[in-house]
Amino acid sequence: MKPTLSALALAGLLALPAAAADKMNDLEIAHTAYTAGQIDIRYAHLALAISENAAVREFAETMIRDHSAVNAAAGALIAELNVTPQDNALSQALATGAADKRAELVALSGHAFDCAYATNELGYHQVVNETVAEKFIPWTTVEPLTELLREALVTFRVHEGHAEHMVAGLKCGS
Amino acid sequence: MRLVSTTTRRRFLSLAGAGIAAALAPGAGRAHDGPHRVEVGISAFAFTPRRVTIRAGDTVVWTNRDLAPHTATADEAGWETDRLDRGQSAAITFATPGRHAYFCSFHPMMTGEVVVEPT
Ligand SMILES: [Cu+2]
Repeated sequence: MKPTLSALALAGLLALPAAAADKMNDLEIAHTAYTAGQIDIRYAHLALAISENAAVREFAETMIRDHSAVNAAAGALIAELNVTPQDNALSQALATGAADKRAELVALSGHAFDCAYATNELGYHQVVNETVAEKFIPWTTVEPLTELLREALVTFRVHEGHAEHMVAGLKCGS
Repeated sequence: MRLVSTTTRRRFLSLAGAGIAAALAPGAGRAHDGPHRVEVGISAFAFTPRRVTIRAGDTVVWTNRDLAPHTATADEAGWETDRLDRGQSAAITFATPGRHAYFCSFHPMMTGEVVVEPT
């Protein structure tokens, strides 16, 4: 874990790997991957409502654009396969963690908000990417879903790198 | 150089004005005396090939293979594609010799170059 990530910023995220200890099926994985994208889009809308920092706003716009595209592709695949994604403990843990984090973020403004948002984006992408790479991709059995996750991971890893630059640029300290 | 298939192309953009001529007719130009079309793929957040060398009057066609939308946007104003979603293409014809550096306006670390030689 990077020292820049405070325990506070990761509160709610740590539930993710723990809850993902039990192997999930394809429909649960599809649900969680979609949920994770929607959560990040919601964080980004919050950032656009609060932040006045150009780098933070640009990052948030990229999150909305890219995660919307990934989830649109996921929605198209779900429709094509004619299946219904299954809600599950991990999706619920993510949603609860995100609601807590939004409540924390919405009380902030200025540099404090920017740093909290940016640090959370970095931690969030780190945890999600690790889960997608080490669990979801090996666990999925439906080839088009595995392929979609692989492609999505390419995008999410770019976001993680982008978030790292954003955090460094904000000089948030620790 | 990796050539990207054009069979799934859904859309062409034809940009007029400021040094950009209309897109050439399909199938045109196999010899050096006619205009050519060069394909640039966009995948895994990179332009492939990163640099293409063409002659004035040739056309570059960008096709996005990523889930994420991208653009090809000139460093110095003059030309830019629309937002390209997965499977979408855009064509730009270069009339003026020179080095045209470009990037993706959504992911500015993605960069490429079109080198236009005189005919
Ligand atoms: Cu891009």
